[in-house]
Amino acid sequence: MKGYDAVVSNRWVRLGAFLVVLVVLAVLPLVADPFTNQTISHIAVFAVAILGLNIVMGFTGQVSLGHSFFVGIGAYAAIIPIRDWWGGPLAEGAIVIGFVLSGLIPGVLGLLIALVTVRLRGLALAMVTIALPTIGLPLAQKFSDFTGGNEGISIRRLDYVGADGQVHKGNPFAAGPGLENDQWQYYIVIAIALAFFALAYFLVRGKYGRAFAIVRSNEAIASSMGVSPYRYKVLAFTIAAVYGGIAGFLLIVWGQFTSSETLAFHHSIDLVIASIVGGAGSIVGAVLGGVFYVTVSQIMNGLQLSIYTTLVQGVVIILILFLLPGGLASLPRTIRRLVRRGAAGHSVEAGHAADSASGNTKTQVQPSEERNT
Amino acid sequence: MGARLTLDRISLSFGGVHVLQDVGFDIEPGSILGLVGPNGAGKTSLFNCISGHYRPSSGSILIDGVEVLGQSPARLVHHGLARTFQHPALQLHASVLDNVLLGGHTRLPGDAVSWALRLPYTWRAERALRDEAVELLERQGLGWAARLSADELSHGLHKSIELCRALMMHPSLLLLDEPAAGLSHGEVEQLIATVRRLRDEDDMTIVVVEHNMSLIARLTDRVVVLDHGRKLMEGTAAQAQADPRVIEAYLGAPDAAA
Repeated sequence: MKGYDAVVSNRWVRLGAFLVVLVVLAVLPLVADPFTNQTISHIAVFAVAILGLNIVMGFTGQVSLGHSFFVGIGAYAAIIPIRDWWGGPLAEGAIVIGFVLSGLIPGVLGLLIALVTVRLRGLALAMVTIALPTIGLPLAQKFSDFTGGNEGISIRRLDYVGADGQVHKGNPFAAGPGLENDQWQYYIVIAIALAFFALAYFLVRGKYGRAFAIVRSNEAIASSMGVSPYRYKVLAFTIAAVYGGIAGFLLIVWGQFTSSETLAFHHSIDLVIASIVGGAGSIVGAVLGGVFYVTVSQIMNGLQLSIYTTLVQGVVIILILFLLPGGLASLPRTIRRLVRRGAAGHSVEAGHAADSASGNTKTQVQPSEERNT
Repeated sequence: MGARLTLDRISLSFGGVHVLQDVGFDIEPGSILGLVGPNGAGKTSLFNCISGHYRPSSGSILIDGVEVLGQSPARLVHHGLARTFQHPALQLHASVLDNVLLGGHTRLPGDAVSWALRLPYTWRAERALRDEAVELLERQGLGWAARLSADELSHGLHKSIELCRALMMHPSLLLLDEPAAGLSHGEVEQLIATVRRLRDEDDMTIVVVEHNMSLIARLTDRVVVLDHGRKLMEGTAAQAQADPRVIEAYLGAPDAAA
């Protein structure tokens, strides 16, 4: 086990593994069929959404049951500028605006909501976050001129004026020559998802990761360390909102469509389930959660058993909660612990003894007669 | 530089219960004050008032002459205050090193975006803090444990790690809540040496809550004895141990002394 640990924790081995994953991700769409490419893109979309949820729930310990609200708002913020401006002089600039707004608008909304609500604890916060999709959905339906209502907005066939002066129909996310649409969309989604995974990975290592963790486990200690629980909860909630919004943008790249249904509350629950199944306190867990979210329903549809999809999801989450509370991402660690326990390794005591032998005067625990006199 | 801590007529009540009544004292910079008294005397409550976790109903708390009453615990850190807790709440699944690094939180620069982008100055600061934490652990004889997960270690080691975490804050005023509770004899000796060194070499002002009178006698420059939320007496540990009021407060009746 020692050798295994050494290999896994070696930074060059990790870097190598990461590069292999990058190369596979880069080459795969060129050889895989469109369905596979779309499936992987779809997983990446939800992995980003779940990653946001993990930061607020898994890392900082705040229950959010309104994450689909931010995904839905992000999708609108992405698609509406593209619908309105892509065919005009802005052209591709509309996509950039959509991307920026898809992070910005949910982020600002998340910040404002968090400033008011994170003072609430536990269930109260969960209740407030439930209200977000519950209010957002009918609002989106009401302003259907702008949001498309239940019909939704599709940008698969938008009017634009070509170089020949004629009006054409086009898809802003259609590929240029040499690539298929599914490949092009895959590359956009994967590149953005990777970038946001890298940002989260750097953030939760070091200063902010430690601060989130102590806020989650003990607010009194956190504040004694100069970590204001309020500020860090607001920060985590805002980051989660931004990630939800960016996932909304990626959803548009992937499907060029959204509707008020994207906001629906039950999607929030699905995301929470996927987050827990994958491992809420982990970056890799978000990817595994995305795989779970997308593939379970796909497999059930393939088996023509889609009416049982939620049943399967329910069984899986119960099994995970009992057998693997840290989610699928904690599987290697759990196995390692079990193996170590089986091998009865007393590495701690051994290290301690060695330290004492080398001139350290620490003694073993013995009853102190001086106490409580 | 040690901070001067001045408490004046601190009162605290929960509902109708008076936990503290008109408690006041003044600590010389760079000295060790023992806060003693029987269970329920209000020692930890007073600590919580100083560290901002409780808000006294009246009185004043000055750190180096600056009124800090009513400030949040997170703000008080910027006045040089650090504290430990009766039960060292470590991050059990994090490494010892990560636990200690948490103490350096306020000394790390940069907002969340800079850290997410891994700007060079952020990881340089992180690496410097890491070196400092390793050095501190080694000085405490805990270098071997740095990479271990905290839940693999004993209670006594948790207390040492918690003290290291507080020292990473570079405090000028350190509050230790029952630092010797549950420690072995050897660990207590090490603790005494460490706390004395903090006073003598780092010129820290230290307040210690402790039941153990013999430890208090060896460690402190002065003691304040609390009983039922009131200050019973103030003086040296020897004076306190000889004071009949203190003996009575501790043991109920003078003849019950063991």
